[in-house]
Order: sequence, then structure tokens, then C-alpha cells
Amino acid sequence: MEMPLTALKEGETGVIVSIKVGFGHGKCWGKGFQKRLTDMGLTPGTEVTVIKSAPFNGPIEVYVRGYRLVLGRGMAERIIVEARR
Amino acid sequence: MKERRLRIALAGNANVGKSVIFNQLTGLHQHIGNWPGKTVEKAEGTLHFKGYTIDVIDLPGIYSLSTFSLEEVISREYIVTEKPDVVINVVDASVLERNLFFTLQLIELETPLIIALNQIDVAERKGIKIDYKRLEEILGVPVVPTVAIKGRGIHDLLSKAIEVAEKQASKQTIIRYGEEIESRIQRLEGALKNIRLRYPARWVAIKLLEGDEYIEKEIREIKPEILDLANSLAKEIEEIHGHPCPTVITSERYEAAGKIAREVQRILPIIKPSLSERVHNVTTHKIMGYLIMILVVLGILQMIFGFGGYFSSLLSDLFYRYEPLFESIFGAGLLKEIIWGGLIEGIIANITIALPYIVPFYLILYILEDSGYLARVAFLMDALMHKIGLHGKAFIPIMLGYGCNVPACLGCRIMETERERLIAGFIVTLIPCAARTVVILGLVGTFLGIWWALALYALDLAIILILGRLAFRILPGEPTALIMEMPGYKMPHLKTVVKQTWFRLEEFLKISFPLIILSGILIKVAEVYGALKIISHILSPITVGWLGLPEVTGVILISGILRKELALILLASLIGTTNFQLFLKPLQMFIFALVVMLYVPCIATIAACIKEFGWKKAIIIALTEILFAIFIGGIVYRILSILNLLEH
Repeated sequence: MEMPLTALKEGETGVIVSIKVGFGHGKCWGKGFQKRLTDMGLTPGTEVTVIKSAPFNGPIEVYVRGYRLVLGRGMAERIIVEARR
Repeated sequence: MKERRLRIALAGNANVGKSVIFNQLTGLHQHIGNWPGKTVEKAEGTLHFKGYTIDVIDLPGIYSLSTFSLEEVISREYIVTEKPDVVINVVDASVLERNLFFTLQLIELETPLIIALNQIDVAERKGIKIDYKRLEEILGVPVVPTVAIKGRGIHDLLSKAIEVAEKQASKQTIIRYGEEIESRIQRLEGALKNIRLRYPARWVAIKLLEGDEYIEKEIREIKPEILDLANSLAKEIEEIHGHPCPTVITSERYEAAGKIAREVQRILPIIKPSLSERVHNVTTHKIMGYLIMILVVLGILQMIFGFGGYFSSLLSDLFYRYEPLFESIFGAGLLKEIIWGGLIEGIIANITIALPYIVPFYLILYILEDSGYLARVAFLMDALMHKIGLHGKAFIPIMLGYGCNVPACLGCRIMETERERLIAGFIVTLIPCAARTVVILGLVGTFLGIWWALALYALDLAIILILGRLAFRILPGEPTALIMEMPGYKMPHLKTVVKQTWFRLEEFLKISFPLIILSGILIKVAEVYGALKIISHILSPITVGWLGLPEVTGVILISGILRKELALILLASLIGTTNFQLFLKPLQMFIFALVVMLYVPCIATIAACIKEFGWKKAIIIALTEILFAIFIGGIVYRILSILNLLEH
């Protein structure tokens, strides 16, 4: 089932399907942002495990390609994953 | 024999120990400044080794060579245009795959390269063993294992670097993409053949397929039809893969990096979670994490401002003890006024700010950053900071701002993009520092009551909130978002921290010393010759007409630029009493404190802004804030007069 990365619970793993660009949160999330995420290793087909979610709708911490990465909530919502259960 | 000169550039991801290697290499011969016209720091140093004089430049820590941040653009421009004799790619052995992704891009730039495989001790503790000889074979690049914090491998690294620099032939292995991409890269390369380029043709071809704006712009000026070809080729790749072409290329590059990493590293199971892991869990915990953070923040404030305040007053007492002696030599006349009041007090101001506040600030900032704790604070505070259009990392400078704006301004450099740095710079200079707190509490708090003082703080917070959001909406650029590696905890390398502190202090003093002394003398001369009174009179339409303040406050507002805590003392000496209510109506007190709170922080903060943002932007920040303070002051004056809450 496809869902945003933020829908995964702590400890769950998903495989990246795509990164949504477009308008949201009062700003346009463009190609630059997509490039930035893929540069950090979040390319389609990559496994991502959610480690921790910060309180108050804060960022999430994920494990990807052998390291830990923190992603702001607005950005993480735009990463679509296929949950692996 | 003529001395031979070499230029080495250090490049690599953030948190890989690059600055430790830089400091191990260059020792005490360093120069820290900014890249021309940029807010990005440039660290250069020189060393002598085996008859060579070697200039080392520490490029910013980055994860890719695209155009997301200024740092990335600066780094690749430097490598291409300045052509260093060799680039040392510092690689974190414990995160090999992501680091190799960057290495592969350096190889594509076709620059002479050598790899420092750093933190092999950390990797081993994580159960990762790397066959570096095999890595060397696969990449065709010399690999030297290092543990920089212990100085291990640094000597070998230098010898190898010189070897590579002297030997021109390179046998680096450039990665091959999938056939459908490779054939299109070759077609573009063919089209680029007859054009003189600053970059390798293959790299330009790949960047065009990746939609790199800088390269597109350059090619458009030479031969625009190549862009059309690149676009249609990119479209074809997109159709084959079902993903945007830049994503496809990045994916393949990562696959290649992953394949190499898997081939050279052996991962052993770890028996128990490391100490770093356990500390991480506690410090990001949803309750414990915040408790610890509050303790750490209080500890920092106590250390910088408690200790700093004590040390600062100790120093200034020491200096002022010599004032009578000085007076006995020079007399109490004009000469003494200008030399002591302008020059010496300027020097005192510099020393009493720089030593007690900036030294502990830099030490703490680097320890926070190097140990990895800063990343945890950013993680915890990100949601809150988004309310003012910034992200989690901004919390540290903003919190420091309540103590003193100078270190807060200097701390803005931890933000990633130029845009974020500027917004943060604007916001921290609006935060009431300790000196302004003296005015707020001494005037409003004492004579109008604590609630009015708190109202001032609340007003300030509201202003910051509104301005931050406004800047976030209006300023062009990608939305502010946190993308940050969560590094493992590690012991900061003290020698590096101390050196980083020292060289940045030096850089700050170079700007602040002349600025503070010059403006001190200028204001003193103006005062002695009665020019301040005239200026006050000229300013009276603003101070009296718009803000409803007595004319004499003009003098105070001008002198207050030197040191704001002196504003009250000066006011007292001008009106001859500390019972300010005899002279100022309650509403006037409130407005006066409000304007003092908002208009440019002191001259030392302006110096800090110049160091971080350059002259032009510092002046823009200062002028905007003066106008803004006057504007808001007048509005609040009128609102409060109408509401009739305070006697006027």
C-alpha cells in the first residue's frame, strides 16, 4: 500500500516510490528539493526505516543507506513509500 | 633548490572529520574569512613538508556537487576554476555508501584525487571493516586510512597527496551508467565537442541531463540548441524509467556507490548498542530530551553570560582603575575626554566583549557541533522554529541572542542556505540582549511595573513571529526545511575546537576593533564639540514629533549604539538624577525602552554582521532596523495614547 513516509510508525520500513513536487505549505516544493532528497540517498527503490518522530509534529528521523537522516515534517509528507510489513 | 608550491583542497561530506584533518595539516598557519561576496566561510592554511610549501584550502562540507546550496556551487567552481594540484576527499569509513556517492562525482569532475578513509576506528566499533586496497583498485584512486583525531595516517596522506600532484597521469575509473543513459551522454558529448568548456565534456553532458541550472545558463550563451537536444534526451530517459531524469541519474550513481561499498566492506554484527546509541535515545526522547536540552541551554547561558559577565566586569574594573592615573597625566581637559572617552573606552569595550563572551561562545558552539548534540537540539526544536520561518538549527543562535547579539550573529552560520542565514541574522538582532534587558527592567520594570516590562517582551516576540513569517513568504527560494544528517555522538577534538575558536576570534577582532574605536572617537568628538546637541535638535521631528520623547533622547539613542546598557547611565547623567519619572512620563518610558529594544543592536553586533554577511547586507540590516524601530515606536505611541493606558 502506498502512503506518505510520515504514515509509517517507529520501526517500520518502506520502499520509496516517488517524491511529490508541487504546491504546499505556502511554498512551491520544486525540483531543487527533489534533487536535494535524492542526493541524500532517498532515491526510488531505496529502503527507509523510521527510527523516531519528534513531538509537536516535528521532524522524523529515518535510517537510509547506512546512516541516519532527519527530515522536516512537510518534506517527509511528500515522500511516498510502499510499506513493507 | 627552488621551493616548490602545491595547492591541496579538502573536500567531503559534513561530519567526516574534515576540519580536524585541516587543523592537523596546517597547525597555526591559518586564515579564516569568507568566500568573496558570500556568507560561506573559507578556511585556508599553509604548511611545509619535504621541501614543499603547501597551501591547503578546506572546502565546505557538502553531500553532492549539484546546486542546492551555495557551498556546493562554491566547491565545484573552486575545483574547476582554481584547479588545485590535488583534492583530498575525506571519507567517513562508517558511512561508506553515501560518502562514495560524493567521491564518484569528484571522479566525474576529472580532478587529481586521493581519498582519506577517515574514522576507521568509529567504523570498526560499528562492526564495519573496509578492504581499502580493494577500494583503491576499484576506483583507481589512492586510499589512505586515517584516524584524524589521533593524527594517524596524516603523514602518509601528505606523502601520497604530493605523489599524486606530481604525477600527471590518472587512472581513475569513471562510473558507467545504464546503456540507455550512457548512449545519450555520448550523443550530448558529441554535440559539445567543438565548444571550449571550463569543465570536462562528459561532466557537462551529465549535468545537462540532470537539469543543472548553472550549466544550462552557461551553455545557453554559447550554443542554445544543445539545450533542446539535452531536454529531449532527458525526456526519453524519463519515459523509459518513469522517474524524472535527474532522479534516475542520481539513483544510478547511488547504486554504483552502494555496489562498491558492499564489495569492499564487511559488516559484523554488533553485540550491544554502543554508548553513543544509548545517549542518542535519551537526548531525543520526547520528555527526557527536552529536560536535558533545557539543562544544557541553561548551562550554556550560565557559562557564557554568568562567567562572561563576571569576567567582563572584572576586566573593565581593572581598566577603569587607571582612569584617575590617566587623568593625572593628561589632565581632565579635552584631550583626556577624547583619548580616554573615545580611544581607550573603545579598546576596553572590545576586550570586555571579545574575551569574556566570544571565546566561551565559540568554544561551546564548536563542542556542541562536533559532539553531535546540535543536531539533537535541531531535531527537538524544529517544529517550534518553523513558526518563525526557520528550522531547528536556528534555535541555538536565537537562544544566544537573549544574552548577547554578537555571538548570536556569529552563530547564524550553522544555517545551510544564504536565505536562512539572512532571516536568522535579522531575527537574532531583534532579540533583546542582556544590555537591552537592563534598559527594559531599569526603566519600564522599575517605574511602570513588571507587567509592562513583560508586555515589551511579548510585543518583541510578536514582531519576530510576524517578520519571520513574512520573510519566509516573501524572500525567494525553496521552502525552509530541515534535511540533516544525524551524526553519531563523538568526543570533540579539543585542539581543533581551540584553534577554530582562536582564528575566528582573530577575524572578528579585525573588524570590530577599528569599528568600535572609530565610532567611539567620532561620537566623543561630536559630544565634546556640542555636535550631538545639534544632531538631537535636527532629529527632533522624529524623537519629539513622531515618538513623543524629549529632545535629549536623541543624544542617548545615538550614543547607545556603542553600548546599549549605557543608555540609562547616560540619561541619568544628562538629567542629573536616576529618578527617571521626574523627567519621563510613563508612556515616554515605554516608548523609549521599545525603541532602544528594536533599533540596531550595538556597534559590536554590526561588526559581527559584517563578518558574517559582508558590509552591504550588514548595513541593510542596520538601516532597516533603525527605520523599523522608529516606525513601530510611533505607531505604538499613538495606539497607547488613544487607549489612554499610560499617563502621557
